[in-house]
Amino acid sequence: MKPAAQKIADLGLSVFNWVDDRLHVRKVWESTAGHHVPQSAGSWFYVFGSATLLCLMMQLVTGTLLALVYVPSADEAYATLEYLTYQQQLGWFLRALHYWGSDFMVGIMCLHMTQVFLWGAYKYPREITWISGLVLLVLTLGLAFTGQVMRFDEDAYWGLGIGAAIVGRVPFVGQQLVDFMLGGQIIGSETLSRFFALHVFVLPGSILAVVALHLRMVLTKGINEYPVPGMVVRRETYDKEYAAILKKEGVPFFPKAIDKDIIAAAFVIGGIVACACIFGPKGPSGPADPLHIDSSPRPDFWFLWIFAVAALMPEEIETFALLVGPVIIGIILVALPFVNGTGEKSWRRRPMAVIVVILVWVSLGMLTYLGATSPWSPVMDGWSSLPVGKEQIAGRSPLELQGAVTLQFKQCRNCHMVDGLGGERGPDLTDVGMRLTAPQLARQVVQGGGNMPAYGQNLSPAEVEALVAYMTTLVPEGVPPAQDFTLTKAAKQ
Amino acid sequence: MTAARAIPALLAALALPSCDWMPGKPTLADKWQAPSEITSFTELYNSNCLGCHADGRSIAGSNTLKDPLYLSLLAPEKLREIIAAGINGHSMPAFAKENGGQLTDQQIDILVAGIMEWRDPSKLPAAPIPPYSAPLGDVAAGNAAFAQYCASCHGADGNGGEKAGSVVNPYYLDLVSDQYLRTIAIAGRPELGCPDFAHRVPGRPMSPQEVSDVTAWLVSRRVNEFGQPPQTIPNQP
Ligand code: HEC
Ligand code: HEC
Ligand code: HEC
Repeated sequence: MKPAAQKIADLGLSVFNWVDDRLHVRKVWESTAGHHVPQSAGSWFYVFGSATLLCLMMQLVTGTLLALVYVPSADEAYATLEYLTYQQQLGWFLRALHYWGSDFMVGIMCLHMTQVFLWGAYKYPREITWISGLVLLVLTLGLAFTGQVMRFDEDAYWGLGIGAAIVGRVPFVGQQLVDFMLGGQIIGSETLSRFFALHVFVLPGSILAVVALHLRMVLTKGINEYPVPGMVVRRETYDKEYAAILKKEGVPFFPKAIDKDIIAAAFVIGGIVACACIFGPKGPSGPADPLHIDSSPRPDFWFLWIFAVAALMPEEIETFALLVGPVIIGIILVALPFVNGTGEKSWRRRPMAVIVVILVWVSLGMLTYLGATSPWSPVMDGWSSLPVGKEQIAGRSPLELQGAVTLQFKQCRNCHMVDGLGGERGPDLTDVGMRLTAPQLARQVVQGGGNMPAYGQNLSPAEVEALVAYMTTLVPEGVPPAQDFTLTKAAKQ
Repeated sequence: MTAARAIPALLAALALPSCDWMPGKPTLADKWQAPSEITSFTELYNSNCLGCHADGRSIAGSNTLKDPLYLSLLAPEKLREIIAAGINGHSMPAFAKENGGQLTDQQIDILVAGIMEWRDPSKLPAAPIPPYSAPLGDVAAGNAAFAQYCASCHGADGNGGEKAGSVVNPYYLDLVSDQYLRTIAIAGRPELGCPDFAHRVPGRPMSPQEVSDVTAWLVSRRVNEFGQPPQTIPNQP
């Protein structure tokens, strides 16, 4: 007689065998979690892919929960968001998790892509892995983009506006495409339901399908071995070399190589939760209303650079930059594994690759900074709201005081800073008296120049006089005002 | 688990659902407000007036509004009218929606009530306070009054002295209204060191008549460099 415990164990095993016989659980497990990877791939640099996937999973969960409350109609979307944010228990936290999850996902995905590029993982034979990754990049950005439309506030308007500006430039069918995108001539309920369908059905569905392909490729073609300088990829020999590496130092992904991914996962989840707790959700800002003239819509973090590009680029190249630019970038990225599919993998031997990565990140970083500060947009209520410091008022004559008032009244402050407050379109005027003489100041004000409007028609002679008198006093203590050296010289002779 | 550990754990579990302790939780104060829905006086004052009129903490180009003496002169209805319609031809803009501004009637009422809160009868001079508005007085008498009350700082002819700048600069006089000159003649610019009517000469407050005379004299100096009244161009912001 077997003991009872043994009996139960036997029964359990036979049930498992029955299931396994039908679903091949064991085999699937072995070929996925248990598949062998080069030991060198268990590196901290290789955690970004799984971390991106983790973010996607979190987005699916939090997104589903949000969809329980959110109503995708132009009339109700905004109200349901306000309900979630201010009334529903922990509703704000859910929104914050979804918002930060999205930011983290895009960010980590960009790190993943950078790593894959620098470590040469796109090279032979992983072309399809790379290309499916590119599709995932587009889909993820699409999710982030359509996600900000879900807020349906004035920031959503920015996104829709720039989107319409881009597709509207497509030759011949531009207007039709805009109508198709917005579901009509204007942004309204049809627009929102369209983007809702994209955001919760089309894009997530596609992303899951492409993720499946992406992972399938990771399994069939293996994880990139940690590149060693001098080890060159050749189409003829690489497969054999990789098999040899696996044979020599291959370890099952689970449990041997997954530890770092798990630790990274903890950091990612911790990061998202911490950001959600500390910074909370974004918006909703003002409702999307084209009549709000003094709104300053601004996209989410990862699109700030596009915001900057769209604001700063000269008009003549707009069509090119918005329409042709993305196509060219797309072609280059898709062609990369075919054009550059062999050779050195290690970034130590690929200075060009390193330079490209640095250039791209630095320029994206600078554009993002510009997008976040948007120095090109005037401070709309600067003229009536921004005081000047005591140093800029004390000791001024009555005329100069009127100059200070005129500087406000004529809205110069909307573009110009004084004492750290004001717009950044034009130079800071705090010390302008040190740089320019009275005639130069008068010329600038009356004739404008650069990006400054000419005020000649809009200022009385007294206002010009007062403005100039005031600005010449804007010098730091102890520094002489600007002088016209040709005049002083002439006077001396 | 000991009680010492259980209590903090229990507290944490209770704190979690309320979550008010988390800095990220949006409060109603964070909620977006349409500009026309703002009803906080401080916010309205700071975004509409602070650039030109000080609130007691800052100083600005035009007169400070947080001045008990000045506010005792000004009737709330007059203040309301000035905010709504501005001062035509001068740098004080109109704020009412019907005049092209951004403020609703209700918001203007809030501003008027808030500014009038700054009134403080305990800080008024004992001397009889001249009325806010009155007809211009006598120019010659004004000249004498100027020499007596103002010249010590603004110079004998008003062209500026040690302690203060010119009040007869034609461009200056072109930019300010008669009423503004009268306002300053009464209330001064306390935040800049121009004393009010009662404190220019110790122990000798200016009489209402002297205020009107000084104003008349200042207005009479409003001429351009050719000795004619300068042309005024109607100015728009
Ligand atoms: C629309 C925005 C805008 C407004 C409004 C504006 N400016 Fe400017 N301002 C500029 C820009 C841009 C420049 C730089 C011009 C250039 O590049 O030559 C500038 C330059 C100047 C300069 C020269 C500064 C220097 O350091 O070289 C002065 C002085 C100046 N502005 C005064 C004024 C005054 C006074 C007003 C109001 C009557 C005013 N600005 C209104 C945008 C503006
Ligand atoms: C762009 C600058 C500017 C802003 C902003 C501004 N003012 Fe004025 N204000 C002036 C000037 C300049 C005068 C003097 C006009 C004159 O010459 O009579 C003035 C005059 C006044 C006066 C009358 C002073 C007197 O002579 O008795 C009042 C009251 C006043 N402002 C209130 C306000 C209030 C309240 C706000 C905010 C809602 C405001 N102002 C915003 C520039 C401004
Ligand atoms: C104690 C010195 C002093 C006396 C006395 C004085 N003022 Fe002033 N006044 C000032 C100062 C300081 C300012 C600030 C501007 C400056 O520094 O030039 C000023 C400014 C002014 C202004 C310009 C205010 C503005 O907002 O545009 C006027 C007008 C004025 N004074 C008129 C008078 C008149 C009229 C008298 C006499 C009835 C007078 N002041 C007496 C010191 C004085």
